[in-house]
Amino acid sequence: MNAARILIVDDNKTNLKLASDVLAFGGYEILNASDAESAQQIIETSRPDLILMDIGLPGMDGLTFTRLLKADEATRHIVIVALTASAMKGDDVRAREAGCDGYITKPIDTRTFPAAVAGYLPVRA
Amino acid sequence: MYWNGGAERLFGYSSADALGNSIDSLIVPPGHVDDLGRYRREALTTGFSTFETARLRKDGSLIFTVVSNKAVYDAEGRAEFVLITQKDVTHLKVLRDAKLVESQYRDLLESTPDAIIMANQTGRIVLANSQAERLFGYERGELLGTLVEVLLPSRYRGGHVAHRSGYFGQPRTRSMGAGLELYGLRKDGSEFPVEISLSPLQTDGGTLVMSAIRDITYRKGIESALQEKNVELERANQAKDRFLASMSHELRTPLNGIIGFAEFLSDGKPGPLNDKQKEYLGDILNSGRHLLHLINDMLDLVKIQAGRVDLALERFSLSEAIYEVCTGVHPLAVSKGIDINVTIENGIDFVTLDKPRFKQILFNLLSNALKFTDEHGHVGVDVTSVDGGRFRLVVSDDGIGIRAEDIGRLFTEFEQLESGTSRRFGGTGLGLALTRKLVDLHGGEIGVESEFGKGSRFAVILPLVMKGIAT
Repeated sequence: MNAARILIVDDNKTNLKLASDVLAFGGYEILNASDAESAQQIIETSRPDLILMDIGLPGMDGLTFTRLLKADEATRHIVIVALTASAMKGDDVRAREAGCDGYITKPIDTRTFPAAVAGYLPVRA
Repeated sequence: MYWNGGAERLFGYSSADALGNSIDSLIVPPGHVDDLGRYRREALTTGFSTFETARLRKDGSLIFTVVSNKAVYDAEGRAEFVLITQKDVTHLKVLRDAKLVESQYRDLLESTPDAIIMANQTGRIVLANSQAERLFGYERGELLGTLVEVLLPSRYRGGHVAHRSGYFGQPRTRSMGAGLELYGLRKDGSEFPVEISLSPLQTDGGTLVMSAIRDITYRKGIESALQEKNVELERANQAKDRFLASMSHELRTPLNGIIGFAEFLSDGKPGPLNDKQKEYLGDILNSGRHLLHLINDMLDLVKIQAGRVDLALERFSLSEAIYEVCTGVHPLAVSKGIDINVTIENGIDFVTLDKPRFKQILFNLLSNALKFTDEHGHVGVDVTSVDGGRFRLVVSDDGIGIRAEDIGRLFTEFEQLESGTSRRFGGTGLGLALTRKLVDLHGGEIGVESEFGKGSRFAVILPLVMKGIAT
Protein backbone atom coordinates (compact mmCIF):
# COMPACT_ATOMS: atom_id res chain seq x y z
CA MET A 1 0.00 0.00 0.00
CA ASN A 2 1.28 3.42 -0.95
CA ALA A 3 0.40 5.34 2.25
CA ALA A 4 0.59 9.12 2.41
CA ARG A 5 3.67 10.36 4.18
CA ILE A 6 3.05 12.93 6.96
CA LEU A 7 5.66 14.97 8.78
CA ILE A 8 4.65 16.29 12.22
CA VAL A 9 6.67 19.20 13.62
CA ASP A 10 6.00 19.85 17.30
CA ASP A 11 8.36 20.61 20.18
CA ASN A 12 6.06 19.06 22.78
CA LYS A 13 7.08 15.39 22.89
CA THR A 14 3.75 14.14 24.24
CA ASN A 15 1.66 16.04 21.73
CA LEU A 16 3.98 14.85 18.99
CA LYS A 17 3.68 11.25 20.07
CA LEU A 18 -0.12 11.44 20.42
CA ALA A 19 -0.60 12.94 16.97
CA SER A 20 1.92 10.47 15.47
CA ASP A 21 0.35 7.39 17.00
CA VAL A 22 -3.22 8.41 16.23
CA LEU A 23 -2.28 8.97 12.58
CA ALA A 24 -0.09 5.85 12.43
CA PHE A 25 -3.11 3.82 13.51
CA GLY A 26 -4.98 5.58 10.75
CA GLY A 27 -2.58 3.94 8.31
CA TYR A 28 -0.27 6.85 7.47
CA GLU A 29 3.48 6.82 7.29
CA ILE A 30 4.63 9.26 10.00
CA LEU A 31 7.82 11.30 10.34
CA ASN A 32 8.63 13.36 13.42
CA ALA A 33 10.61 16.53 14.02
CA SER A 34 10.82 18.77 17.07
CA ASP A 35 12.13 21.91 15.37
CA ALA A 36 12.46 23.59 11.97
CA GLU A 37 16.08 22.57 11.47
CA SER A 38 15.54 18.83 11.88
CA ALA A 39 12.30 19.11 9.87
CA GLN A 40 14.22 20.69 7.00
CA GLN A 41 16.59 17.71 6.87
CA ILE A 42 13.72 15.23 6.86
CA ILE A 43 11.94 17.16 4.09
CA GLU A 44 15.06 17.04 1.91
CA THR A 45 15.52 13.30 2.29
CA SER A 46 11.95 12.01 2.60
CA ARG A 47 9.65 14.38 0.65
CA PRO A 48 6.45 14.23 2.82
CA ASP A 49 3.02 14.79 1.23
CA LEU A 50 1.78 16.83 4.14
CA ILE A 51 3.31 18.68 7.10
CA LEU A 52 1.49 19.26 10.40
CA MET A 53 3.20 22.36 11.71
CA ASP A 54 3.07 23.59 15.29
CA ILE A 55 3.16 27.37 15.29
CA GLY A 56 5.10 27.92 18.50
CA LEU A 57 8.37 26.19 17.75
CA PRO A 58 11.61 27.01 19.54
CA GLY A 59 14.17 28.71 17.30
CA MET A 60 12.55 29.40 13.95
CA ASP A 61 8.80 29.54 14.53
CA GLY A 62 6.35 27.48 12.46
CA LEU A 63 5.00 30.40 10.44
CA THR A 64 8.44 31.62 9.35
CA PHE A 65 9.36 28.07 8.43
CA THR A 66 6.15 27.77 6.41
CA ARG A 67 6.97 30.96 4.49
CA LEU A 68 10.41 29.56 3.62
CA LEU A 69 8.98 26.23 2.41
CA LYS A 70 6.28 27.96 0.37
CA ALA A 71 8.88 30.25 -1.24
CA ASP A 72 11.05 27.31 -2.32
CA GLU A 73 10.29 25.80 -5.73
CA ALA A 74 11.28 22.33 -4.46
CA THR A 75 8.91 22.30 -1.46
CA ARG A 76 6.02 24.63 -2.25
CA HIS A 77 3.78 21.76 -3.39
CA ILE A 78 3.82 20.16 0.09
CA VAL A 79 0.52 20.71 1.92
CA ILE A 80 1.12 22.49 5.22
CA VAL A 81 -1.52 22.34 7.98
CA ALA A 82 -0.92 24.54 11.04
CA LEU A 83 -1.55 23.23 14.53
CA THR A 84 -2.91 26.25 16.41
CA ALA A 85 -3.85 26.60 20.04
CA SER A 86 -7.60 27.26 20.15
CA ALA A 87 -7.09 29.82 22.91
CA MET A 88 -4.90 32.00 20.73
CA LYS A 89 -7.19 34.26 18.78
CA GLY A 90 -5.96 35.23 15.35
CA ASP A 91 -3.56 32.29 14.97
CA ASP A 92 -5.76 30.86 12.21
CA VAL A 93 -5.55 34.11 10.24
CA ARG A 94 -1.80 34.36 10.71
CA ALA A 95 -1.42 30.74 9.58
CA ARG A 96 -3.29 31.44 6.34
CA GLU A 97 -1.25 34.59 5.73
CA ALA A 98 1.99 32.66 6.15
CA GLY A 99 0.90 30.28 3.38
CA CYS A 100 -0.57 27.36 5.34
CA ASP A 101 -3.16 25.38 3.41
CA GLY A 102 -5.28 24.95 6.52
CA TYR A 103 -5.21 24.65 10.26
CA ILE A 104 -6.34 22.26 12.98
CA THR A 105 -6.85 23.56 16.50
CA LYS A 106 -5.13 21.95 19.45
CA PRO A 107 -5.89 20.04 21.61
CA ILE A 108 -6.53 17.43 18.99
CA ASP A 109 -9.61 15.25 19.24
CA THR A 110 -8.27 11.72 18.69
CA ARG A 111 -11.59 10.63 17.19
CA THR A 112 -11.81 13.27 14.47
CA PHE A 113 -8.12 14.02 13.91
CA PRO A 114 -7.37 11.38 11.23
CA ALA A 115 -10.36 12.45 9.15
CA ALA A 116 -9.46 16.13 9.50
CA VAL A 117 -5.94 15.41 8.26
CA ALA A 118 -7.24 13.23 5.42
CA GLY A 119 -9.34 16.17 4.22
CA TYR A 120 -6.18 18.13 3.49
CA LEU A 121 -4.32 15.39 1.64
CA PRO A 122 -3.97 15.83 -2.09
CA VAL A 123 -6.05 13.32 -4.06
CA ARG A 124 -3.73 10.82 -5.70
CA ALA A 125 -3.90 9.94 -9.31
CA MET B 1 -6.17 117.79 33.09
CA TYR B 2 -3.37 118.65 35.44
CA TRP B 3 -1.66 115.78 37.34
CA ASN B 4 0.72 116.58 40.16
CA GLY B 5 3.54 114.63 41.73
CA GLY B 6 1.37 113.55 44.60
CA ALA B 7 -1.12 112.02 42.15
CA GLU B 8 1.73 110.24 40.43
CA ARG B 9 2.95 108.78 43.73
CA LEU B 10 -0.54 107.77 44.78
CA PHE B 11 -1.75 106.15 41.55
CA GLY B 12 1.48 105.17 39.86
CA TYR B 13 0.74 107.03 36.60
CA SER B 14 3.16 109.74 35.55
CA SER B 15 1.80 113.06 34.41
CA ALA B 16 2.61 112.04 30.83
CA ASP B 17 0.61 108.79 31.26
CA ALA B 18 -2.33 110.62 32.71
CA LEU B 19 -2.70 113.73 30.62
CA GLY B 20 -5.24 113.52 27.85
CA ASN B 21 -6.96 110.52 29.42
CA SER B 22 -10.29 110.58 31.14
CA ILE B 23 -9.74 110.37 34.87
CA ASP B 24 -12.64 107.90 35.07
CA SER B 25 -10.99 105.39 32.77
CA LEU B 26 -7.68 105.73 34.62
CA ILE B 27 -8.38 105.34 38.32
CA VAL B 28 -12.02 104.28 38.73
CA PRO B 29 -12.17 100.50 39.18
CA PRO B 30 -14.12 98.85 36.35
CA GLY B 31 -17.72 98.20 37.28
CA HIS B 32 -17.49 100.60 40.21
CA VAL B 33 -20.72 102.46 40.78
CA ASP B 34 -19.82 105.85 42.13
CA ASP B 35 -22.17 108.60 41.45
CA LEU B 36 -19.32 110.65 40.09
CA GLY B 37 -21.55 112.94 38.10
CA ARG B 38 -23.59 113.86 41.17
CA TYR B 39 -20.51 114.75 43.22
CA ARG B 40 -19.13 116.84 40.38
CA ARG B 41 -22.38 118.67 39.83
CA GLU B 42 -22.56 119.28 43.57
CA ALA B 43 -19.06 120.71 43.44
CA LEU B 44 -20.02 122.98 40.55
CA THR B 45 -23.14 124.30 42.23
CA THR B 46 -22.04 124.51 45.85
CA GLY B 47 -18.33 124.84 45.20
CA PHE B 48 -17.32 121.66 47.13
CA SER B 49 -18.11 117.96 47.55
CA THR B 50 -16.35 115.08 49.21
CA PHE B 51 -16.73 111.26 49.45
CA GLU B 52 -14.75 108.14 50.18
CA THR B 53 -14.27 105.47 47.55
CA ALA B 54 -12.04 102.78 46.14
CA ARG B 55 -9.55 103.71 43.46
CA LEU B 56 -7.40 101.74 41.10
CA ARG B 57 -3.63 102.10 40.90
CA LYS B 58 -1.61 101.56 37.75
CA ASP B 59 -0.32 98.21 39.10
CA GLY B 60 -3.91 96.97 39.42
CA SER B 61 -4.12 97.26 43.20
CA LEU B 62 -6.96 99.04 44.93
CA ILE B 63 -6.66 101.78 47.51
CA PHE B 64 -9.23 103.75 49.44
CA THR B 65 -9.21 107.48 49.03
CA VAL B 66 -11.17 110.42 50.24
CA VAL B 67 -11.99 112.49 47.18
CA SER B 68 -12.56 116.22 47.48
CA ASN B 69 -13.90 118.15 44.51
CA LYS B 70 -13.44 121.89 44.58
CA ALA B 71 -14.70 124.17 41.81
CA VAL B 72 -12.33 126.84 40.56
CA TYR B 73 -13.99 129.91 39.02
CA ASP B 74 -12.78 132.26 36.34
CA ALA B 75 -12.90 136.08 36.53
CA GLU B 76 -16.55 136.13 35.53
CA GLY B 77 -17.50 133.66 38.25
CA ARG B 78 -17.98 130.71 35.90
CA ALA B 79 -16.65 127.39 37.01
CA GLU B 80 -13.50 126.86 34.99
CA PHE B 81 -12.35 123.48 36.26
CA VAL B 82 -12.65 121.15 39.21
CA LEU B 83 -9.75 120.65 41.56
CA ILE B 84 -9.81 117.04 42.69
CA THR B 85 -7.80 116.05 45.74
CA GLN B 86 -7.43 112.42 46.66
CA LYS B 87 -6.12 111.41 50.02
CA ASP B 88 -5.04 107.83 50.58
CA VAL B 89 -7.05 106.53 53.53
CA THR B 90 -6.46 102.85 52.86
CA HIS B 91 -4.84 102.22 56.20
CA LEU B 92 -7.54 104.12 58.02
CA LYS B 93 -10.18 102.16 56.15
CA VAL B 94 -8.49 98.90 57.16
CA LEU B 95 -8.55 99.95 60.77
CA ARG B 96 -12.20 100.91 60.55
CA ASP B 97 -13.13 97.62 58.81
CA ALA B 98 -11.06 95.71 61.35
CA LYS B 99 -12.87 97.36 64.23
CA LEU B 100 -16.21 96.57 62.59
CA VAL B 101 -15.58 92.85 62.01
CA GLU B 102 -13.68 92.41 65.27
CA SER B 103 -16.73 93.40 67.28
CA GLN B 104 -19.15 91.42 65.16
CA TYR B 105 -17.29 88.23 64.23
CA ARG B 106 -14.15 87.68 66.31
CA ASP B 107 -15.76 85.46 68.97
CA LEU B 108 -17.57 83.43 66.36
CA LEU B 109 -14.45 82.92 64.22
CA GLU B 110 -12.25 81.98 67.16
CA SER B 111 -14.56 79.05 67.82
CA THR B 112 -14.14 77.39 64.42
CA PRO B 113 -11.36 74.89 63.78
CA ASP B 114 -10.48 76.50 60.45
CA ALA B 115 -8.11 79.36 59.89
CA ILE B 116 -10.15 82.38 58.83
CA ILE B 117 -8.85 85.47 57.08
CA MET B 118 -10.98 88.45 56.16
CA ALA B 119 -9.81 91.02 53.68
CA ASN B 120 -11.40 94.13 52.25
CA GLN B 121 -11.48 95.25 48.63
CA THR B 122 -7.92 96.52 48.73
CA GLY B 123 -6.76 92.99 49.60
CA ARG B 124 -5.65 94.03 53.07
CA ILE B 125 -6.30 91.76 55.99
CA VAL B 126 -8.87 93.17 58.41
CA LEU B 127 -9.19 90.06 60.55
CA ALA B 128 -7.18 86.89 61.09
CA ASN B 129 -8.35 84.48 63.76
CA SER B 130 -5.75 82.92 66.02
CA GLN B 131 -5.97 79.64 64.09
CA ALA B 132 -4.88 81.55 60.96
CA GLU B 133 -2.06 83.28 62.82
CA ARG B 134 -0.82 79.98 64.18
CA LEU B 135 -1.18 78.25 60.80
CA PHE B 136 0.95 80.85 59.03
CA GLY B 137 3.33 81.42 61.97
CA TYR B 138 2.51 85.05 62.82
CA GLU B 139 2.21 86.87 66.14
CA ARG B 140 -1.09 88.04 67.45
CA GLY B 141 -2.34 90.96 65.35
CA GLU B 142 0.72 90.93 63.12
CA LEU B 143 -1.22 90.26 59.93
CA LEU B 144 -3.65 93.12 60.32
CA GLY B 145 -3.40 95.60 57.45
CA THR B 146 -0.99 93.54 55.37
CA LEU B 147 -1.88 92.43 51.86
CA VAL B 148 -3.26 88.86 51.80
CA GLU B 149 -0.56 88.05 49.24
CA VAL B 150 2.04 87.79 52.03
CA LEU B 151 0.42 84.41 52.79
CA LEU B 152 1.12 83.15 49.27
CA PRO B 153 4.34 81.83 47.73
CA SER B 154 5.68 84.66 45.56
CA ARG B 155 5.06 82.75 42.31
CA TYR B 156 1.30 83.02 42.87
CA ARG B 157 1.12 86.64 44.00
CA GLY B 158 0.75 88.43 40.67
CA GLY B 159 -2.09 86.19 39.54
CA HIS B 160 -3.77 86.45 42.89
CA VAL B 161 -4.12 90.24 42.74
CA ALA B 162 -5.98 89.93 39.45
CA HIS B 163 -8.21 87.12 40.79
CA ARG B 164 -8.95 89.06 43.92
CA SER B 165 -10.05 92.14 41.97
CA GLY B 166 -12.19 89.88 39.79
CA TYR B 167 -13.79 88.30 42.86
CA PHE B 168 -15.17 91.62 44.06
CA GLY B 169 -16.74 92.08 40.63
CA GLN B 170 -18.79 88.89 41.16
CA PRO B 171 -18.63 87.90 44.80
CA ARG B 172 -20.12 84.50 45.63
CA THR B 173 -19.34 81.60 47.89
CA ARG B 174 -17.02 79.12 46.22
CA SER B 175 -13.88 77.15 46.73
CA MET B 176 -10.72 78.74 45.44
CA GLY B 177 -8.91 77.30 42.46
CA ALA B 178 -11.02 74.15 42.23
CA GLY B 179 -8.85 71.38 40.83
CA LEU B 180 -5.66 73.37 41.35
CA GLU B 181 -2.91 72.76 43.85
CA LEU B 182 -2.89 75.70 46.23
CA TYR B 183 -0.13 76.51 48.69
CA GLY B 184 0.19 78.75 51.67
CA LEU B 185 3.41 80.51 52.77
CA ARG B 186 4.41 80.62 56.44
CA LYS B 187 6.28 83.56 57.92
CA ASP B 188 9.41 81.40 58.08
CA GLY B 189 9.24 80.90 54.29
CA SER B 190 8.04 77.29 54.33
CA GLU B 191 5.09 76.24 52.17
CA PHE B 192 2.17 73.90 52.80
CA PRO B 193 -0.76 72.69 50.69
CA VAL B 194 -4.10 74.35 51.47
CA GLU B 195 -7.74 74.20 50.60
CA ILE B 196 -9.52 77.53 50.59
CA SER B 197 -13.16 78.48 50.38
CA LEU B 198 -14.25 82.04 49.79
CA SER B 199 -17.42 83.84 50.71
CA PRO B 200 -18.41 87.48 50.43
CA LEU B 201 -19.51 89.32 53.52
CA GLN B 202 -21.62 92.46 53.21
CA THR B 203 -20.86 95.01 55.90
CA ASP B 204 -21.62 98.67 56.47
CA GLY B 205 -18.09 99.38 55.32
CA GLY B 206 -18.56 97.58 51.98
CA THR B 207 -18.00 94.05 50.76
CA LEU B 208 -15.37 91.97 52.54
CA VAL B 209 -14.16 88.55 51.55
CA MET B 210 -13.85 85.81 54.10
CA SER B 211 -11.54 82.89 53.36
CA ALA B 212 -11.53 79.68 55.35
CA ILE B 213 -8.15 78.02 54.97
CA ARG B 214 -7.39 74.43 55.79
CA ASP B 215 -3.96 72.84 55.95
CA ILE B 216 -4.24 69.66 53.88
CA THR B 217 -0.69 68.38 54.34
CA TYR B 218 -1.96 65.34 56.18
CA ARG B 219 -4.70 64.62 53.67
CA LYS B 220 -2.29 65.10 50.76
CA GLY B 221 0.06 62.64 52.42
CA ILE B 222 -2.70 60.09 52.74
CA GLU B 223 -3.88 60.74 49.20
CA SER B 224 -0.47 60.19 47.69
CA ALA B 225 0.10 57.13 49.87
CA LEU B 226 -3.24 55.76 48.69
CA GLN B 227 -2.41 56.58 45.10
CA GLU B 228 0.89 54.75 45.36
CA LYS B 229 -0.84 51.84 47.00
CA ASN B 230 -3.40 51.75 44.20
CA VAL B 231 -0.74 51.74 41.52
CA GLU B 232 0.98 48.94 43.38
CA LEU B 233 -2.26 46.96 43.69
CA GLU B 234 -3.07 47.51 40.05
CA ARG B 235 0.36 46.23 39.11
CA ALA B 236 0.00 43.20 41.36
CA ASN B 237 -3.41 42.51 39.89
CA GLN B 238 -2.07 42.65 36.35
CA ALA B 239 0.76 40.35 37.33
CA LYS B 240 -1.81 37.95 38.78
CA ASP B 241 -3.82 38.06 35.54
CA ARG B 242 -0.73 37.41 33.44
CA PHE B 243 0.29 34.61 35.75
CA LEU B 244 -3.12 32.95 35.61
CA ALA B 245 -3.35 33.33 31.84
CA SER B 246 0.02 31.75 31.24
CA MET B 247 -0.54 29.11 33.92
CA SER B 248 -3.85 28.16 32.34
CA HIS B 249 -2.10 27.72 29.04
CA GLU B 250 0.75 25.76 30.59
CA LEU B 251 -1.64 23.54 32.54
CA ARG B 252 -3.64 22.71 29.48
CA THR B 253 -0.76 21.42 27.40
CA PRO B 254 0.02 18.32 29.52
CA LEU B 255 -3.68 17.83 30.15
CA ASN B 256 -4.22 17.52 26.43
CA GLY B 257 -1.77 14.63 26.46
CA ILE B 258 -3.61 12.95 29.35
CA ILE B 259 -7.03 13.35 27.78
CA GLY B 260 -5.81 12.50 24.29
CA PHE B 261 -4.07 9.25 25.22
CA ALA B 262 -6.86 8.16 27.57
CA GLU B 263 -9.38 8.75 24.82
CA PHE B 264 -7.28 6.90 22.28
CA LEU B 265 -6.79 3.96 24.63
CA SER B 266 -10.39 3.74 25.78
CA ASP B 267 -11.50 3.69 22.15
CA GLY B 268 -9.49 0.46 21.96
CA LYS B 269 -7.35 1.69 19.05
CA PRO B 270 -4.04 0.21 20.21
CA GLY B 271 -5.70 -3.04 21.30
CA PRO B 272 -8.64 -4.59 23.15
CA LEU B 273 -9.31 -3.67 26.81
CA ASN B 274 -11.02 -5.55 29.59
CA ASP B 275 -13.95 -3.93 31.43
CA LYS B 276 -11.96 -2.67 34.43
CA GLN B 277 -9.36 -1.08 32.17
CA LYS B 278 -12.14 0.57 30.21
CA GLU B 279 -13.76 1.83 33.42
CA TYR B 280 -10.53 3.29 34.82
CA LEU B 281 -9.74 4.97 31.52
CA GLY B 282 -13.22 6.46 31.64
CA ASP B 283 -12.42 7.81 35.12
CA ILE B 284 -9.16 9.34 33.89
CA LEU B 285 -11.04 10.94 31.01
CA ASN B 286 -13.77 12.38 33.22
CA SER B 287 -11.29 13.78 35.71
CA GLY B 288 -9.18 15.19 32.92
CA ARG B 289 -12.17 16.82 31.22
CA HIS B 290 -13.34 18.27 34.53
CA LEU B 291 -9.92 19.76 35.14
CA LEU B 292 -9.85 21.15 31.62
CA HIS B 293 -13.26 22.73 32.16
CA LEU B 294 -12.03 24.36 35.36
CA ILE B 295 -8.95 25.73 33.66
CA ASN B 296 -10.99 27.05 30.75
CA ASP B 297 -13.42 28.79 33.12
CA MET B 298 -10.53 30.30 35.00
CA LEU B 299 -8.90 31.56 31.82
CA ASP B 300 -12.24 33.04 30.73
CA LEU B 301 -12.69 34.82 34.05
CA VAL B 302 -9.20 36.24 33.92
CA LYS B 303 -9.71 37.40 30.35
CA ILE B 304 -13.01 39.08 31.17
CA GLN B 305 -11.54 40.70 34.26
CA ALA B 306 -8.66 42.05 32.23
CA GLY B 307 -11.15 43.41 29.67
CA ARG B 308 -9.71 41.22 26.95
CA VAL B 309 -12.94 39.60 25.80
CA ASP B 310 -14.66 41.02 22.74
CA LEU B 311 -18.13 39.79 21.95
CA ALA B 312 -18.58 38.41 18.44
CA LEU B 313 -22.19 39.34 17.74
CA GLU B 314 -24.26 37.32 15.29
CA ARG B 315 -27.92 36.82 14.47
CA PHE B 316 -29.08 33.36 15.45
CA SER B 317 -32.17 31.40 16.36
CA LEU B 318 -32.70 31.30 20.10
CA SER B 319 -34.63 28.03 19.96
CA GLU B 320 -31.85 26.44 17.96
CA ALA B 321 -29.18 27.58 20.43
CA ILE B 322 -31.27 26.29 23.35
CA TYR B 323 -31.73 23.00 21.55
CA GLU B 324 -27.98 22.71 21.00
CA VAL B 325 -27.25 23.31 24.70
CA CYS B 326 -29.95 20.84 25.76
CA THR B 327 -28.35 18.25 23.50
CA GLY B 328 -25.03 18.90 25.24
CA VAL B 329 -26.45 18.21 28.72
CA HIS B 330 -28.74 15.43 27.53
CA PRO B 331 -26.54 12.54 28.78
CA LEU B 332 -26.51 14.00 32.31
CA ALA B 333 -30.29 14.56 32.25
CA VAL B 334 -30.94 11.04 31.02
CA SER B 335 -28.64 9.49 33.62
CA LYS B 336 -30.67 11.16 36.40
CA GLY B 337 -34.03 10.59 34.75
CA ILE B 338 -34.74 14.32 34.55
CA ASP B 339 -36.89 15.83 31.83
CA ILE B 340 -35.90 19.28 30.59
CA ASN B 341 -39.02 21.20 29.71
CA VAL B 342 -38.39 24.07 27.27
CA THR B 343 -41.00 26.76 26.51
CA ILE B 344 -40.37 29.77 24.32
CA GLU B 345 -42.92 32.57 24.05
CA ASN B 346 -44.43 32.90 20.59
CA GLY B 347 -42.80 35.52 18.44
CA ILE B 348 -39.34 35.27 20.00
CA ASP B 349 -36.85 33.60 17.75
CA PHE B 350 -33.95 35.48 16.26
CA VAL B 351 -31.61 37.41 18.53
CA THR B 352 -28.28 39.16 18.00
CA LEU B 353 -25.79 38.19 20.69
CA ASP B 354 -22.49 36.38 21.00
CA LYS B 355 -23.80 32.89 20.33
CA PRO B 356 -21.04 30.80 21.96
CA ARG B 357 -21.17 33.06 25.03
CA PHE B 358 -24.96 32.84 25.19
CA LYS B 359 -24.73 29.06 25.01
CA GLN B 360 -22.11 29.14 27.76
CA ILE B 361 -24.50 31.12 30.00
CA LEU B 362 -27.34 28.66 29.42
CA PHE B 363 -25.02 25.66 29.68
CA ASN B 364 -23.72 26.79 33.08
CA LEU B 365 -27.21 27.41 34.46
CA LEU B 366 -28.62 24.23 33.01
CA SER B 367 -25.82 21.97 34.16
CA ASN B 368 -26.09 23.51 37.65
CA ALA B 369 -29.84 22.85 37.66
CA LEU B 370 -29.26 19.24 36.65
CA LYS B 371 -26.45 18.83 39.17
CA PHE B 372 -28.48 20.09 42.10
CA THR B 373 -31.72 18.30 41.28
CA ASP B 374 -32.47 14.81 42.55
CA GLU B 375 -33.26 11.92 40.24
CA HIS B 376 -36.60 12.21 38.45
CA GLY B 377 -36.79 15.89 39.34
CA HIS B 378 -37.87 18.67 36.99
CA VAL B 379 -35.81 21.26 35.17
CA GLY B 380 -37.32 23.98 33.00
CA VAL B 381 -36.07 26.53 30.51
CA ASP B 382 -38.49 29.40 29.83
CA VAL B 383 -38.09 32.33 27.49
CA THR B 384 -40.46 35.30 27.71
CA SER B 385 -40.26 38.81 26.34
CA VAL B 386 -39.48 41.81 28.53
CA ASP B 387 -40.16 45.44 27.62
CA GLY B 388 -37.32 47.51 26.21
CA GLY B 389 -36.49 44.99 23.47
CA ARG B 390 -35.24 42.36 25.89
CA PHE B 391 -36.04 38.80 26.86
CA ARG B 392 -35.95 36.80 30.05
CA LEU B 393 -34.38 33.36 30.18
CA VAL B 394 -35.39 31.41 33.27
CA VAL B 395 -33.77 28.12 34.27
CA SER B 396 -35.73 26.53 37.10
CA ASP B 397 -35.40 23.31 39.04
CA ASP B 398 -37.01 21.58 42.02
CA GLY B 399 -33.66 20.56 43.49
CA ILE B 400 -31.97 21.27 46.81
CA GLY B 401 -32.31 25.07 46.53
CA ILE B 402 -30.17 27.70 48.18
CA ARG B 403 -30.34 29.16 51.70
CA ALA B 404 -31.27 32.86 51.74
CA GLU B 405 -28.02 33.80 53.50
CA ASP B 406 -25.97 32.13 50.76
CA ILE B 407 -27.58 33.88 47.81
CA GLY B 408 -25.34 36.96 48.09
CA ARG B 409 -22.14 34.91 47.68
CA LEU B 410 -23.49 32.87 44.84
CA PHE B 411 -22.00 34.85 41.99
CA THR B 412 -18.54 35.22 43.55
CA GLU B 413 -15.52 33.23 42.38
CA PHE B 414 -14.80 30.00 44.25
CA GLU B 415 -17.84 30.28 46.51
CA GLN B 416 -19.37 26.89 46.26
CA LEU B 417 -21.84 26.85 49.07
CA GLU B 418 -21.51 23.99 51.48
CA SER B 419 -18.03 22.69 51.71
CA GLY B 420 -18.46 19.23 50.37
CA THR B 421 -20.99 20.14 47.69
CA SER B 422 -18.09 20.46 45.35
CA ARG B 423 -17.06 16.89 45.96
CA ARG B 424 -20.64 15.69 45.79
CA PHE B 425 -21.68 17.53 42.66
CA GLY B 426 -18.40 18.20 40.92
CA GLY B 427 -18.82 21.93 40.40
CA THR B 428 -15.91 24.23 39.81
CA GLY B 429 -17.09 27.14 41.92
CA LEU B 430 -16.37 29.36 38.93
CA GLY B 431 -19.42 28.72 36.80
CA LEU B 432 -21.81 31.29 38.26
CA ALA B 433 -19.14 33.98 38.63
CA LEU B 434 -18.27 33.48 34.98
CA THR B 435 -21.94 33.40 34.00
CA ARG B 436 -22.56 36.72 35.72
CA LYS B 437 -19.58 38.28 33.96
CA LEU B 438 -20.82 37.00 30.59
CA VAL B 439 -24.27 38.45 31.27
CA ASP B 440 -22.68 41.77 32.30
CA LEU B 441 -20.72 41.83 29.05
CA HIS B 442 -24.01 41.63 27.17
CA GLY B 443 -25.40 44.52 29.23
CA GLY B 444 -27.85 42.12 30.90
CA GLU B 445 -28.92 41.23 34.40
CA ILE B 446 -28.91 38.00 36.34
CA GLY B 447 -30.78 37.12 39.48
CA VAL B 448 -31.96 34.17 41.50
CA GLU B 449 -34.94 33.20 43.59
CA SER B 450 -34.68 30.13 45.69
CA GLU B 451 -36.26 28.36 48.60
CA PHE B 452 -34.05 25.94 50.43
CA GLY B 453 -35.15 22.40 49.79
CA LYS B 454 -37.65 23.39 47.11
CA GLY B 455 -35.58 24.49 44.15
CA SER B 456 -34.14 27.52 42.42
CA ARG B 457 -35.05 29.87 39.59
CA PHE B 458 -32.18 31.64 37.84
CA ALA B 459 -33.36 34.48 35.61
CA VAL B 460 -31.24 36.24 33.02
CA ILE B 461 -32.44 39.31 31.16
CA LEU B 462 -30.66 40.03 27.89
CA PRO B 463 -31.24 42.39 24.96
CA LEU B 464 -32.81 40.80 21.88
CA VAL B 465 -30.41 42.77 19.73
CA MET B 466 -27.14 43.69 21.32
CA LYS B 467 -25.66 46.83 19.82
CA GLY B 468 -22.06 46.06 18.98
CA ILE B 469 -19.11 48.32 19.45
CA ALA B 470 -18.12 49.39 15.96
CA THR B 471 -15.03 47.51 14.88
